[in-house]
Amino acid sequence: MLTLKALTLQPMHGWGISIRLRQISGDVFDVNQGSLYPALQRMLRRGWIRAYYGDSENNRRARYYEITRDGRRQLEEQMAEWDHASRAVNRVLRFATQGA
Amino acid sequence: MAWYHGITTAFNALARRGREERQMDDEMQFHLEMEARRLVKENGLSEEDARYAAQRAFGGVERHKDSVRDERGTSFVEDLGQDARFAVRTLRRRPGFTAVAALTLALGIGASTTLFGVVKAVLLTPLPYDRPEGIAVLWSSWKGFDQTWLSYDEYEGWKADIPAFTNVGIYSDGAVNLTENGESERLRAGYIDRDILPILGVKLSLGRGFTAAEDIPNGPRVVILSRDVWARRYGADPSVVGKSIQVNGQAAQVVGVMPAGFRLPLDFGANGPTLIWLPLGADAESNGAIPGPQFQKGGGSHGFYGLARLRAGATVAQANKQLADRVAQLKKEGVYPEEQQFRAFAVGVEDQVTGRLKPVLLVVFAAVGFVLLIACANVAGLLLVRGEQRRREMALRVALGAGGQRLSRQMLTETVVLAGLGGALGVAFAAIGVWLVRHNAPAALPRVADAHLDPWVLGFALGTAALAALIAGLLPALQATSVAPQTELRDGGRTATAGHARLRWRQTLVAAEVALAVVLVVGAGLMIRSVVNLFAIDAGIRTDGVLTMRLSTPAAWYPDSVRVTAFHDELRRQVAALPGVKAVGLVRILPLATEMGDWGLQVEGYTPPPNQGTPGDWQIVTPGYFEAMGLRLVQGRFFDDRDVMTAPPAMIVNRRFVELYLQGRQALGAHVRIGGQDAKDPPYTIVGIVDNVKHNGLTREVKAQFYAPQPQFATSPGNTSRNMTLVVRGSGKPEQLINPVRGVIKGLDPRLPISDVRTMNEVVQQAIAAPRFAMQLLGLFGVLALVLSAIGIFGIVSQVVASRTQEFGIRAALGATPRNLLMLSLGSGVRQAGAGLVVGVAVALALTRTMTTMLQGVTPTDPLTFGAVVGVTAVVAIGASLIPARRAAKTDLAKVMTG
Repeated sequence: MLTLKALTLQPMHGWGISIRLRQISGDVFDVNQGSLYPALQRMLRRGWIRAYYGDSENNRRARYYEITRDGRRQLEEQMAEWDHASRAVNRVLRFATQGA
Repeated sequence: MAWYHGITTAFNALARRGREERQMDDEMQFHLEMEARRLVKENGLSEEDARYAAQRAFGGVERHKDSVRDERGTSFVEDLGQDARFAVRTLRRRPGFTAVAALTLALGIGASTTLFGVVKAVLLTPLPYDRPEGIAVLWSSWKGFDQTWLSYDEYEGWKADIPAFTNVGIYSDGAVNLTENGESERLRAGYIDRDILPILGVKLSLGRGFTAAEDIPNGPRVVILSRDVWARRYGADPSVVGKSIQVNGQAAQVVGVMPAGFRLPLDFGANGPTLIWLPLGADAESNGAIPGPQFQKGGGSHGFYGLARLRAGATVAQANKQLADRVAQLKKEGVYPEEQQFRAFAVGVEDQVTGRLKPVLLVVFAAVGFVLLIACANVAGLLLVRGEQRRREMALRVALGAGGQRLSRQMLTETVVLAGLGGALGVAFAAIGVWLVRHNAPAALPRVADAHLDPWVLGFALGTAALAALIAGLLPALQATSVAPQTELRDGGRTATAGHARLRWRQTLVAAEVALAVVLVVGAGLMIRSVVNLFAIDAGIRTDGVLTMRLSTPAAWYPDSVRVTAFHDELRRQVAALPGVKAVGLVRILPLATEMGDWGLQVEGYTPPPNQGTPGDWQIVTPGYFEAMGLRLVQGRFFDDRDVMTAPPAMIVNRRFVELYLQGRQALGAHVRIGGQDAKDPPYTIVGIVDNVKHNGLTREVKAQFYAPQPQFATSPGNTSRNMTLVVRGSGKPEQLINPVRGVIKGLDPRLPISDVRTMNEVVQQAIAAPRFAMQLLGLFGVLALVLSAIGIFGIVSQVVASRTQEFGIRAALGATPRNLLMLSLGSGVRQAGAGLVVGVAVALALTRTMTTMLQGVTPTDPLTFGAVVGVTAVVAIGASLIPARRAAKTDLAKVMTG
């Protein structure tokens, strides 16, 4: 979900995504950068993102990923679900602390 | 959409795996470099430290690569490839097992593919006509004649009065001599009216069909050649069309050439194809019929084959209804006497050609399906045993992390590879089988010889192999999933008695095999009894040592019957003088080869019931025929050299004739007039009575029959029999007489063509070709089924014995005698066989009813056959159990306990 979110701003290559993820999450998700690639492959297969080759900032050919329409829809659904779930958790937690 | 992406990604990944791999390498390398550069820039690390740090942060490159590969969605396919390679390796390690399993499957697949080739050629390939479903063959029938020709009046009548028909045509058959460069050949000829080819929708490959102007009595002499004759005699020269050739010693113009493989609808049987066609040239007048759709009493003389084209949307059933209505009306008008039970009917051309063979083929095809099932069951059994042996291997692999699903897929893949092997080998078997069928199919079985391996048949083999893989592989695959590593590895695969649950599947398989085999063998047994019964039928002739050949004496060279008789006399004299010849004569038509028509008679002292005639099947012979064919004389004498043209007309009749027309009266010396004889001609006098001959078929009712000497019949009622069959009885093998007899004919008149050279035994075999064909195939499959089940029983008993060796050892120690042990292990095979027998007999009782029409002299539930099959199966089962069981009896305690 975070990867998709990162890609909504602009197409990026793998390393760029990993940097952006670290920035967004404040380095919370800096576990094992390599795990990003299987995840990208999975999203490619599901049609949420597209890959193409472009020149990177230092003129090297790199594989760029961009989000697709399916991907955006998926992201919206996930966000909605996340909101729903986190609100529920928050309510429970608040109730629990009040009740205590 | 997602599935689409999944498929394209997977496809791309597979198709361009090398590129994907490179791209993945590049991408990860790029990531590492960028990360290292960032670390150098932002954190001030040295380049080397940065590279290490980047790699640490990334994690194991190869591990991530693997994960990416998994995510590509191709792992299923890749696993399959891996499984297949693994299967091939495993199978190669066990060549004996692989060979037996693959061969078993190959037998099943080969046999069913061969049979499918036959079924396709006979039943599935449309006849070579335009819209064959719209073509019907027309027949008449009455008392004593189930299926006979049409009269000219009926032809005109049905053409005009049956709305279901758009067109009706008639034809007749015969033979002509084709002479080219002094060499004569006798060809089967079709005399067809102008509508026959349009009805069949045949496009000639050269020239044209017959016109209305040619299809008239004594019309222009024109012919159409078969493709075969055109190629063989005229070198496929297109300019032959329009040229004149010699037919029956007279010039005739070729107007067309038929397409390759063309046959008239009734040419698919033993007589072979017609090779030349002439205009029928029939009209009402020349056939003594009333012009137009009027009928004379009795319908006139019946001698034409009829074909009809159905109106679009009309069915054969509708046509039959209309024919029946019209005939009922004609009976009311007094055209057909009620007692004759006249009927007119149409048969769809496909039914006509293959209808008789269809039930036989379907039964045999079902039988071959059973063989295939048994083969699959056997292979499944073999795999189960192997599965048992590999339980520990499987358990170990489960323990090491292989999924149960993956394991069963692997087992299934192994079966698929086996079935692939079996399928490839099976196609080879089928190629041999089809070749054998093509070269050995009796000519009397329509279209069987057309069987060949084509893409459809190969596709069938492929489908069969896939099915076999599924059937044979399912159980072993399920078995693999049930592996529980803890228990397996803990008991180390050693238990005192074999797990009964594990055996149960195999036992069920073996019982099913035996049941299927019983059904097959019962079918085979019933067919064998039928054919034995057919052979045991007394046809009234002795066929051993008899050679026959057709020859004709064309009017162009033998203008009158005096000359024909002189030729026959000389021929008989010279052939009789050949060494080894015991008797020789000539006959109009051979028994069991061609159906005989009848002739109206007047028998002195016999008055037929009102509106009934006194028909007698007519046979024209020369002296010597009765002796040569081996007919039995009941009373009086055979014809001999007394019975010349000028002598008082003599007649020999069969016993049935006497029973019907001369009951209780002195038969010898009775006078008979043959319809058409002049009143001033002397009647025939009966000089002999012979035993009945089953002329029209071994199982058909015998009708009253008379024999007349050829020269006398030619004088009165007057018809020179030009097409006769020479019958020679020799003391040795009849085949040895072929060349000497041909030599004699050539010496007498080299122009005369000879055809249909056959021994009388061949004629009889053709007459019962269909039941014999069924018997041979069912017999073959029955034996195959028994052998396969025996292997199955052998396998299960061996397995039981092997797994209970320890138990047996202990029993032996406790005092069990070898005999006890033998019985104990024997029981495990015999019990399954017994269960299979019971089920098989029950199924057979239900199924054999479908064979009723194929059987002769036995009921589908014939107790003798069933008893014999039960006996044979029991013996086979006990025999197959005995071999491994004896091993159990010899169980050596010391060896077991120390081993």
